[in-house]
Amino acid sequence: MIEVDQLVKQFRAADGSLVEAVDGVSFSVAPSEIVGLLGANGAGKTTTMRLLATLLSPTSGTARIAGHDIVTDPLGVRRHLGYLSATTGVPDRLTPREVLEFAGRLHGLDRAAIADRTATLLHTLGLESCESRPCGRLSSGQRQRVSLGRALVHNPPALVLDEPTNALDVVGARDLLNLLDTLRDAGRTILVSTHRLHEIERRCDRFVVIHAGRVVAQGTQREMAAEPGSLERAFFAAVEGSGGA
Amino acid sequence: MNALRGIIAVAGFQIRRLLAPQRIALALVGAAFPAAVILAVRRVADLNLDVLALLLYALVPEAVCMLGLLVTMCPVVADELERGTWQHVAVRPGGRRSLLLGTFLAAVAWSSLVALLALALALAAAGLPDSGPLAPMFAVLVLVSCVGRAALFSLPAVIVPKRALVASVAVAFVVEYLAGFLPAVINQLTVSLRLRSLLVRWMGWERKLPPELSLIIDTQPPWVQIVAVVALASVFLFAASIILAGRQFPPAEES
Repeated sequence: MIEVDQLVKQFRAADGSLVEAVDGVSFSVAPSEIVGLLGANGAGKTTTMRLLATLLSPTSGTARIAGHDIVTDPLGVRRHLGYLSATTGVPDRLTPREVLEFAGRLHGLDRAAIADRTATLLHTLGLESCESRPCGRLSSGQRQRVSLGRALVHNPPALVLDEPTNALDVVGARDLLNLLDTLRDAGRTILVSTHRLHEIERRCDRFVVIHAGRVVAQGTQREMAAEPGSLERAFFAAVEGSGGA
Repeated sequence: MNALRGIIAVAGFQIRRLLAPQRIALALVGAAFPAAVILAVRRVADLNLDVLALLLYALVPEAVCMLGLLVTMCPVVADELERGTWQHVAVRPGGRRSLLLGTFLAAVAWSSLVALLALALALAAAGLPDSGPLAPMFAVLVLVSCVGRAALFSLPAVIVPKRALVASVAVAFVVEYLAGFLPAVINQLTVSLRLRSLLVRWMGWERKLPPELSLIIDTQPPWVQIVAVVALASVFLFAASIILAGRQFPPAEES
């Protein structure tokens, strides 16, 4: 379960003024649910996700991941959260197997657990054929799957995925989104951000539209995208209704 | 145990990064530098043990160690930000601490190795038959220098990651070579005082030094100097670890 409660994040700009990157955002994601966090570039999606991942601390408000508060129990959050950033950030010289093993060690897993999780993830993510090839020689789709495996290595109940289909072609994006369906069916709580609406229109159970740091609309898949292509119309209606875009 | 696993994993990963051909070539050039200087000195003057010890001190535990640590310890956070891997490390329960301490271990191991190679080459280049006892003495000085300075450089590396190299050079000059030579309490907090004091003690130079120079030497036994450096390094690393735990990088500040 992910519960976000009046989350605010202010940054100080170069001229000394305060910028509210996230301004009172509230929403929740239930287990076995995929929620799409939608917004244009600079809307506050990445900052919201980094707050949830405890990479940033909120100015006010809070959030709970699997019952752990991001302000009072960040270590608990990190143990129960898988985070995928918009930048793949996979070391070029390591192989997929080594990346997963490294992530497992960094997470404090024991040797047996690392071997077990690595084997499972290499199989699940379709990386067995390239498990010994340096990541620098993999396709962008394969690298993104390695990055997703790194987020899943400790078998977290909640996932926060920032632009997971970035830099993927149509086939790579479809495969990755199919994988998210599998993870949801396995009971995971998934929050996924994107600005490529058409890709996730039929994948998400609910959507949260964020603009200028504020939630301007949220609803179920049925409410916001009853017909193919209607999510984009609903998105623009919400953003324009808030005075933006 | 879990924490140790993460630290060792990062250390291994950083060593692997350092084993790139360009890094190895750079290390070999650095290791050959003191020998080249000593060969140049031999062409114009006769070397004796005291002069060789002074040259070695300036070139190996000071210059080579310092340069090695500047390229290995300073980019501890900046490298991760640049490569887009910071978030994947920082989101692990002990990730930040593992990154700092694992990189510290790798920086000390790598810089010590390069400095020990430099020492061996320099001693061979000197060609003095009675220089044998200098090898173990300088090996200890190298280790003490690397441990102390790697921990010292961890502070600018986490406080100003993107300007860590410049800040570390400034710290080296201001703290190690300015404060370190002040005959005041502040020089007790520098690694350079401990290294000088060990050199003077082990070379038996105490009585040869003019009184004004003895002000910049600590006369306590060698074990006190080594314990002092270990204590300083622990304090520096602890402070860096606390600072790193609270560091936030807004999305716009990365890369």
